[in-house]
Amino acid sequence: MNKQFKPKILSFLCNWCAYAAADSAGVSRLQYPPATRVIRTMCSARVDPVYIVKGLESGFDSVFVGG
Amino acid sequence: MEIVEHLLDISGIGRNRMQLRWVSSAEGQLFADYITQFSEQTKELGPFDPEQFKLPLTAIEQTLSSPRIRWLIGMTRELTEIENVYHEKLEEKDYKRLLKQATEEEYHKAMIVEVLRKGPHSVHEMAKKIGLPIYTVSLRLNELEKHGQAELTGYDGSTPKFIGLAT
Amino acid sequence: MPDMKDEDIRIGVFICHCGSNIAGYLDMEELSEYAEKLPHVTLVQRNLYSCSEAGISEIKKGIMEHDLNRVIVASCTPRTHEPLFRSSCAEAGLNPFLFEMVNIRDQCSWVHMQEREDGTNKAKDQIRMGVAKAALLEPQEPIMSDVQIRALIIGGGISGMTAALSLANRGYEVVLVEKENKLGGMLNRVNKLGPTMTDASDLVDGKILEVTEHPHITLFTSAKVNAAQGFIGKYQIDIETESGIKKIDFGVILIATGASVYTPEGLYGYDGQRIITQLEMERLFKKGLDPGIKNIVMIQCVGSRNEDRPYCSRICCQTAVKNAILVKDQIPEAKVSILYRDMQMYGVENEEMFRDSRAKGIRYINYDPARPPEVESNHVRVYHALLGREMSLSADLVVLSTPLIAHEDATEISQILRVPIDENGFFLEGHVKLRPLDFATDGIFLCGSAHFPANIREAVAQGLGAASRASIPLSQGSVVVEPIISFLANEDACIACGLCVALCPYGALEIQKTAKGEKVHVIDVACKGCGCCAAACPQNALDINHFRDRQIFAAIEAGGAGAR
Repeated sequence: MNKQFKPKILSFLCNWCAYAAADSAGVSRLQYPPATRVIRTMCSARVDPVYIVKGLESGFDSVFVGG
Repeated sequence: MEIVEHLLDISGIGRNRMQLRWVSSAEGQLFADYITQFSEQTKELGPFDPEQFKLPLTAIEQTLSSPRIRWLIGMTRELTEIENVYHEKLEEKDYKRLLKQATEEEYHKAMIVEVLRKGPHSVHEMAKKIGLPIYTVSLRLNELEKHGQAELTGYDGSTPKFIGLAT
Repeated sequence: MPDMKDEDIRIGVFICHCGSNIAGYLDMEELSEYAEKLPHVTLVQRNLYSCSEAGISEIKKGIMEHDLNRVIVASCTPRTHEPLFRSSCAEAGLNPFLFEMVNIRDQCSWVHMQEREDGTNKAKDQIRMGVAKAALLEPQEPIMSDVQIRALIIGGGISGMTAALSLANRGYEVVLVEKENKLGGMLNRVNKLGPTMTDASDLVDGKILEVTEHPHITLFTSAKVNAAQGFIGKYQIDIETESGIKKIDFGVILIATGASVYTPEGLYGYDGQRIITQLEMERLFKKGLDPGIKNIVMIQCVGSRNEDRPYCSRICCQTAVKNAILVKDQIPEAKVSILYRDMQMYGVENEEMFRDSRAKGIRYINYDPARPPEVESNHVRVYHALLGREMSLSADLVVLSTPLIAHEDATEISQILRVPIDENGFFLEGHVKLRPLDFATDGIFLCGSAHFPANIREAVAQGLGAASRASIPLSQGSVVVEPIISFLANEDACIACGLCVALCPYGALEIQKTAKGEKVHVIDVACKGCGCCAAACPQNALDINHFRDRQIFAAIEAGGAGAR
């Protein structure tokens, strides 16, 4: 496997849960890999399954949904 | 989301390209752990090449946008938890089987429609491009014909050729 | 608004250094150079602190001098700062919904402190995604809705009565629904109240009289809420009373249904005679304690803090200490022992009562839940966990401290009003710290033991608090709702299948007859914008303001574009 490969993950985060958790990870300075690109939604229910496919089509390596 | 996973599996993309996790607002550590773990997982899978999966991706998108599948997904609770007027409800495993089957059908049909968009094809050619048994392709093609989404356009020698119809 | 022509879109990007919080870990120079090259971006500025007065005035100046019609601030999190920046935009004459925030601190610089290059790349991507979404943003207007100036209070215990009086004394019309034939709730069965040792009946009878005679309070006893529809400002409620169903409209609803006491069937030989609960002890006191009782053993945490009920009911320790003191006051020679796991005696007065009880000679014996006490015919055997030996205590009376448990009606009420209950069956507030007396659903509030076991002081405080929260929409007469809601983007596509109506967790959708046949209609004020309907709509007819499909698609595509 190519060692230089830096994955890009599309993340959909719920404003009230996972997005808030991600903020709190920041406040605590918890370090994690800079692989995600975040899109905030008001609720994870907003994430139409089609969004996941769009993410892969657009060139992301994987998709994370955090509710 | 189970359906998305299933579609990713049958298309060869693999369900491990997506992850659904519940994190409450106080669980920063958990979030960081999930991202770290998923980032490792993605790394192991290697880069995803959308060009290579162009046909399946389009077909999955079509499947997930199809009223039939969206209805079935949306009605999960109504169908499995709440009774109908005859006090009947579906067993969850029966429902899941039904949903899986419907999804596969829609997915196969979407692939055929996509392939036909490129011009007339014989069943054999389609089966080869999509990677499905000839029998399955002709079944789905039949359904598409019934719904006016495909039709016979002519013969190449004795081989029938089909085209897609815009819907 | 008609779709803006591409060339008319003028986006200003303001990148915040946040002192060194962002600038210390990301290459700011590179970020701003990058942002300048993005489509539609006409102005890029860096601020030391965008949220400071200086930062805000630069943003406003930027909007006016460069005629910006979209603003992006790349800084901390929208969860804390979006309202501020939105209102700054509004002050500069820009619709606040033409603002987009990009999080490059909490979710970037702070979590990638050792990865300057990759962190900067991530910030670039996030800014590019923000710009892509911003280009497609649409202005939104706040939504106003009238409020029916009347409050429904469910539950006529101390908390509900307190809330009712508080609202009624402000001049609002209140309807109080109590399922028993008498007001007062749990307090009717309590003898004295700790730590002041006043008669419970003095408090409760006084309140009942006030409520009954209050001109603004309509009281329905032996009544219950049967059905509910609507949203903040206009809840249509069916109340089942002795004289039939009453249909009444309310602006707000308070849930004050209290809790029940757990009956410890099968535990420690409970028989309701010699082995009783603390609540039954209250009744003994009211009848007059038998002076022949010389030995009393109380056991704490009976049926709580176990697998079935993992929570601590909080108030049983106070109750036990209070009743132990009352026994000592009436029969000074009586021996009272309290077998406990941990003593929950929070608050200055309770601690004082606890010290007082020790001075009066009440014995406290710590037991280990792995070796619980055993109740025998006239004594209780207990392994003293601190002394490390078995003891045998004489017992004429054994009093079991059982927890308050969620009311059996709670589940039904939660379904009727569409508000959540927690894993123990108690009602769940909107937010532990920020909305402790509100539900996530606007216009419904909660107080007292319906939420979690509360003592009188807490039940009263919460009653007053919930009344105060509820009085906000009542005094305003109208409510303003965030316009981030669902709307029927494609009316022709809607086939009125009703899937969204069934799925909506807030009851915010309905099918209506229109000139084009039956179509779904979004009840603006009830919608929370969660997007569940839009994500599920088989026809893709519904969409969410400010989080439209095409806006999200644009962000996805922009994010993927520079993938590698």
